[in-house]
Amino acid sequence: MTLADFPLIATLAMVCWAAGSILRFASRRFPALRIPSYLVMVAGTVLLGWFIAAYWVALERPPLRTLGETRLWYAALIPVVGFLVEYRWKVGWLKYYCMSLAAFFLVINLSTPDVFDKALMPALQSVWFIPHVVVYLIGYVLLAASSAAAWHNIFTGLRSQTDHQDFSLSHYLALLGFVLLTFGLVFGALWAKEAWGHYWTWDPKETWAFISWLAYLGYLHLSANKTGSGRLQWYLALSFLVLLVCWFGVNYLPSAQNSVHSYQPN
Amino acid sequence: MSKVSCGWFEDVRSFRLSSIVTLLVVSTGFAIQYLAGGVGVPVLSWPFNGVFLAVFAALLVLLGVAFRNKPFVVWLGGIPLGLSLIFGIAFLSLLGGVIPQGGMTGASLPARLGLNRIFSGWPFLLTVLLFLSNLGLSVVWKTIPFRPSNLQFMLFHGGFWIALAAGLAGAPDLQRLIIPVYEGRQNSRAYIPEENRMVQLPFSVYLDDFSIEEYSPQLVLYDPGSDRVIPGKSGSVAEVGKGYRAVWPGFEVKVLEYLGHALPDSSGNPRPADPENGIPYARVRISAAGKSVDRWLNTGSPSVRPGVVQLGRYFLVMFPGTPKVFRSGVVLSGSRGRKPAILEVNKPVEFDGWKLYQMGYDEKAGRWSQLSLIEAVRDPWLPAVYCGFFMIMAGNAMFFWKGMKRGGSV
Repeated sequence: MTLADFPLIATLAMVCWAAGSILRFASRRFPALRIPSYLVMVAGTVLLGWFIAAYWVALERPPLRTLGETRLWYAALIPVVGFLVEYRWKVGWLKYYCMSLAAFFLVINLSTPDVFDKALMPALQSVWFIPHVVVYLIGYVLLAASSAAAWHNIFTGLRSQTDHQDFSLSHYLALLGFVLLTFGLVFGALWAKEAWGHYWTWDPKETWAFISWLAYLGYLHLSANKTGSGRLQWYLALSFLVLLVCWFGVNYLPSAQNSVHSYQPN
Repeated sequence: MSKVSCGWFEDVRSFRLSSIVTLLVVSTGFAIQYLAGGVGVPVLSWPFNGVFLAVFAALLVLLGVAFRNKPFVVWLGGIPLGLSLIFGIAFLSLLGGVIPQGGMTGASLPARLGLNRIFSGWPFLLTVLLFLSNLGLSVVWKTIPFRPSNLQFMLFHGGFWIALAAGLAGAPDLQRLIIPVYEGRQNSRAYIPEENRMVQLPFSVYLDDFSIEEYSPQLVLYDPGSDRVIPGKSGSVAEVGKGYRAVWPGFEVKVLEYLGHALPDSSGNPRPADPENGIPYARVRISAAGKSVDRWLNTGSPSVRPGVVQLGRYFLVMFPGTPKVFRSGVVLSGSRGRKPAILEVNKPVEFDGWKLYQMGYDEKAGRWSQLSLIEAVRDPWLPAVYCGFFMIMAGNAMFFWKGMKRGGSV
């Protein structure tokens, strides 16, 4: 499996998510369509998961190095959060936001194709590579879902339709996301000590990871201090922008010129 | 950070006061920095940093226990101040995350304000010091008297306090030295980049062998006019090898034969050679407008001229692959005897209280480098910082568990 197959797989995944969503809406009239609708939606994610596994084998390294590769994981994982939230908490609307976000990231990958590159620089050849990046990715996925839930709550709040359960959903997704962000940060520090000699050097990526962590630390303390739910939804909705800067934006900042965290091919 | 009262609106005065104090602390930091002419905070090394930290911690315990109900102490350890300081630290980090650090010199305003050295400047130090007071008091309150239900709070907040305090207080005791050593030679002197001077080490490093393994070479078109490299479209086969095909507008190149390690014989034809000395060779067929020609390409070495093909104003070039592994076979000698070791990136070696890292090599010489750069690091405060890290992770795992349990009732 190489990147030549990616456009087909990505398109098929998006078609599955779209078709599944349409079937799900249709199932309100025709209940027999309910199960097939879920099967089609999940098939899109399974397809993407299968592509990642096959691509991993072809690359002979974990596809977790470039931004494009992390977007691929992201696109595969975020609908899983949507499905799990519905399975566990019976909240159905989140999965549509999640599939839309996943499709958005696939479209970015389709418009800026990666180069098939097996090279894994020595700094990344470590037992910490997979746990550090995967923990961060799942953290980002949960916080993206939390942000999506917060936007949903803001819009429904404007129409006075938000219930308590919807507020709790964005809160718990943020809480779990924060936990993973913390693990990612500490794993990164322990890895940096082994790779670069020091656990913290205020490299721009580290600084932005710290800022993102502080943003969610601030959220948890605002929440513990019983700040109003409406304000907190805005806070959560916008906090994700800080994560996006940490993930992509940091490469475009003037401070990034000396970053050791740039793994894009030259 | 413990709560002083319920609700955003009831706390608004406390929040206002906390925000004003945070703003004042940050501004005072910038004022001191400006008046000091951009010079950073004077550093305290061992034992003074240890004494300072011990006195600071003891004061916090005393304040937290003996003056627990005093309004000032309640405010000092409360959530409103904690939140304001979190945002204050985030703001300073934002400056440090946007403005290139360490680059500026001279008497410009940003340099005098220390914007190029945010994390070692007065505003950051003062804000973190107040934050440590706030965090420390909250930990004292949750620890004395001890309740098992507070364990998660104690581990997470206490771990954060220890890691942050030990990391900052211990920074002056951190030693990071670069040992340049050539193959077949020994060195016991190291370079301190920040101070631009050499120092004598308590041990020596003998470099027995330095080697680099590379990924497959890349076939590219080089435009000397614009000094630009144009990669071709290579379809599904990604590695240069027999059968590799790459296409550029107007022509295509196919690899007919590939030798990973070869050297030229007396007539210039490549013959297989050992991996230590051999270089990659590829016989390629270049086809354009129905005509084709076969040529040998090679990546070149100090003793072999790179084999390239001129195509109009371009050159078809085979670039060496990026480094896969670089390692130094060394013998370390010190007061505790001799120790042979292999240094690789991500595989440091401990010796005489120092940790040695494979840092770099002569990048211009690439895999022919005779020079290895080894970094020697000594950080006596590391166990304390790691203790903080592991407490954070333990508290974090408990937080996750509590979150999952509570989340069941969303």
